Amino acid sequence: MLEVEGLSVSYGAVQALTDVSLSAAAGSTTAVLGANGAGKSSLLRAISGIAPIGAGCIRLDGQDVTRLSPQARARHGLAHAMEGRRLFRQMNVEENLRLAWSFGARSTPWAAALEDVYARFPILAQKSRIASGLLSGGQQQMVILSCTTIRSPRVLLLDEPSLGLAPLIVRQIYAFIAGFARDSGATVVIAEQMASIALQVADRGCALRRGRVALTGTATELLRGGLAATYL
Amino acid sequence: MDDFFFSLVLAGISVGAVYALVALGLNLTFWTTRALNFGQGSLMMLCAMLTVHLAAQGLALLLAVLGALFIIGGLGIFIERFAVRPALKGAGSMGWVVSTLGFGIFLQGVAAKWFGAQAVAFPDILFSAQDYVSVFGQYVSLQYLVVLLVAVALILLLELFVRKTVWGQAVHAVSLDPELAGVQGIPVRRIILGSFIASSLLAGVAGLLIAQIGGTVDPAFGFDLVLLGFVAAVFGGMGSSVGALVGGLVVGLTSKLVGGYISTAAEHAIAFALLMAMLALRPQGLFGRIEVSKA
Repeated sequence: MLEVEGLSVSYGAVQALTDVSLSAAAGSTTAVLGANGAGKSSLLRAISGIAPIGAGCIRLDGQDVTRLSPQARARHGLAHAMEGRRLFRQMNVEENLRLAWSFGARSTPWAAALEDVYARFPILAQKSRIASGLLSGGQQQMVILSCTTIRSPRVLLLDEPSLGLAPLIVRQIYAFIAGFARDSGATVVIAEQMASIALQVADRGCALRRGRVALTGTATELLRGGLAATYL
Repeated sequence: MDDFFFSLVLAGISVGAVYALVALGLNLTFWTTRALNFGQGSLMMLCAMLTVHLAAQGLALLLAVLGALFIIGGLGIFIERFAVRPALKGAGSMGWVVSTLGFGIFLQGVAAKWFGAQAVAFPDILFSAQDYVSVFGQYVSLQYLVVLLVAVALILLLELFVRKTVWGQAVHAVSLDPELAGVQGIPVRRIILGSFIASSLLAGVAGLLIAQIGGTVDPAFGFDLVLLGFVAAVFGGMGSSVGALVGGLVVGLTSKLVGGYISTAAEHAIAFALLMAMLALRPQGLFGRIEVSKA
């Protein structure tokens, strides 16, 4: 369960978010939509504690985490796949997974967690000793998704998981996300420019425009309402 | 073998080992923050001074050493909090060069005020200057051997820590991408703080070892050492532990040999000549990796 209330974020003189509220229930998937610069990434970054919060509050499962450090939030069960396919590029696949697994509460022992990842993405087992920066974009995205889900987070934030990937890979990535959302009972929030694909897996959607919430609704409402034409 | 040559080599190796320790201390904070603590030299001095002072108060020598190291570790926290963290706020800021150096000069002043500017005798901790063992028919001071052994042991331990433990990996992660490390739950602040404490403690140990060899300490002590330790770190490759050891030994040996056969006035000059040659020919240093970043 993730609740955001009256959130404002600014970088110096630039106001990135103004009075944004959002509520996402456990077991649901929410798509955050909007054009470039609408504030999608800022919203996710504020939730995970790496963007400066000017006003408002953020609650995870009812607990106020607004003033907590990113690592404390991670320990509360928050995971965030940041924009720009961030991983430790000089480290190999397994080292990345190991680090993502090591710090914070986790339910699965390391061997089982690793086996799980390799069962889901067999290609990663073959590439386990290769520096993650040398993998293809799709494989990197698989590593990132595995890293963010390896500790079974209660809230998962995904920033543009489809960016720069071939359509076939995008489908595979989204199949994984939908499967995780269904099986884990976690709250999933996806920031995505491609509204149509995000709304296929999402229950609800929320469109941002110039840092404000422009529209919210269920995925079907948004799809029917011709959201793409109006806001993106 | 020529006695004179042999004694120069020994002296070179042992001061080189101390440079290696200083270089290692510089590496530690470089790993986590890309900043170097140029106040290291004053921490070396202060650690030796405090040991002398505490021992003079009647404390057992071992306790005096531990007490001094404890205070030095605390100063490491202080340096991170007040000299480095504010200076790193702006991206790409190099303010830490001045702030850490300034803090070192400040400590030097405090030490001069408190303990006096005169050199004081440093007590024998493990062996006295008269303890020798015989190697290849030559007499080798045990103090020299201890310095070398401590340096090599610490370097091995650090390498093991960084390569084999998940905390070592976390240190690496913090150096690569602190934001990502934080989001993954790695305690970034504590790791950075830890690196400054460990770096200060290394400086303290290096200070004790070199004071042990020299036999005296004064407030100005340590200033050259941190410069030469820096030369060793850059020569060996900033951030590389093996590079720190090799760099330290190369700098120590060349400067002692040049000092012995040509002129002691050239000792430091040759070290900086080595640095310039290395920067011209191989800027990343002997064991350094070229920083590659692919968007």
